[in-house]
Amino acid sequence: MAKKKKKKDGVKIEFLSKLRLQEKAFEEKLDLIMDSVKDENILVLEEALNAEEKAQLIEKSMEECDEDFPGVEFSGFDSRENWFERILASITGKEKKDGLLIVGSSDVMEKVKEDKDAISMIAKLE
Amino acid sequence: MFKKLKRLFANLFGKKDEIKLGIYGPPNTGKTTLANRISEEFTGEEMGTASEVPHETRVVQKKEKVRLQSNGKEISMNLLDMPGISTKVDYKEFVEHGINEDEAKVRSKEATKGVVEAIKWLDKVDAVLVVFDSTEDPYTQVNVTILGNLEAKDIPIILVANKTDLDDAEPESIKDAFPQYNFTKISAKEKENMEDLYKKVVESV
Ligand SMILES: Nc1nc2c(ncn2[C@@H]2O[C@H](COP(=O)(O)OP(=O)(O)OP(=O)(O)O)[C@@H](O)[C@H]2O)c(=O)[nH]1
Ligand SMILES: [Mg+2]
Repeated sequence: MAKKKKKKDGVKIEFLSKLRLQEKAFEEKLDLIMDSVKDENILVLEEALNAEEKAQLIEKSMEECDEDFPGVEFSGFDSRENWFERILASITGKEKKDGLLIVGSSDVMEKVKEDKDAISMIAKLE
Repeated sequence: MFKKLKRLFANLFGKKDEIKLGIYGPPNTGKTTLANRISEEFTGEEMGTASEVPHETRVVQKKEKVRLQSNGKEISMNLLDMPGISTKVDYKEFVEHGINEDEAKVRSKEATKGVVEAIKWLDKVDAVLVVFDSTEDPYTQVNVTILGNLEAKDIPIILVANKTDLDDAEPESIKDAFPQYNFTKISAKEKENMEDLYKKVVESV
């Protein structure tokens, strides 16, 4: 039942604002990310993931990995909290999510270079 | 903090649990080669198979009661060689390494499970060596994710810049990318600077 990948004219890029994201639980966001990247879109979220969330993203990608979906490539800018904000966040349970996440299937996206302040990616056109 | 308390209690009640030392990193950085060096040195036996094909280790490899000695101190530990963590696994990459297609697909499936297993172990280890290939760019999401999770759980970390024997090795770039952690540079293959690593392990756990 090997389904052939449908040919596309190009890569679709979706942007999701933090307003759209803020009322969603992380599991919902994760499902949304997986649906989108498996559709071969590149997704840009106006929000940073923390380390645990990134680990969950990797885990989920590996669980869904098969011959048609090799996994993801992602990158982003993390929110940089100072120690005071971190302590405040641990008390209030509200963490700062300022930042950005760009994620796509590794079929369509390739990382070129990344550091704390700059990222470059290539969208593969096959 | 919690981890430390737990260990303190375990010791109080006479249950001397061994320190679980996890060896983490992306695929192919030399984790198994390093695990074999440590194990060979302190138990006389190797513990796993190293290979130039990525995702060689796909199930966590354990070696119990490794008595690591350095600087007149001894610690008894469980050495855990983890599958390499990656965000993608493509069977075609294994085919390029000369593995036939069917085998490559099986290897891929096992590799994805290995990554999940390694991630699940992140909160069960007591201390971690994060192994880098010094010829590669250290600032990757895989490395940021591994380090961030360990830090959130207050687990001691030593960054190990491996493969310093290679001409294009730039171990210092690892220190520059993650300056807040304990750091050492080695060649697991050529057994260079292993003493410094042992010293840092004994000091930090
Ligand atoms: N030049 C050099 N090569 C090394 C060194 N350490 C390991 N290697 C080589 O790097 C390759 C990968 O080594 P492994 O020990 O299998 O790496 P690993 O991190 O366990 O890989 P996975 O199990 O796939 O995640 C092998 O070809 C090793 O011989 C080193 O210090 N120097
Ligand atoms: Mg290995």
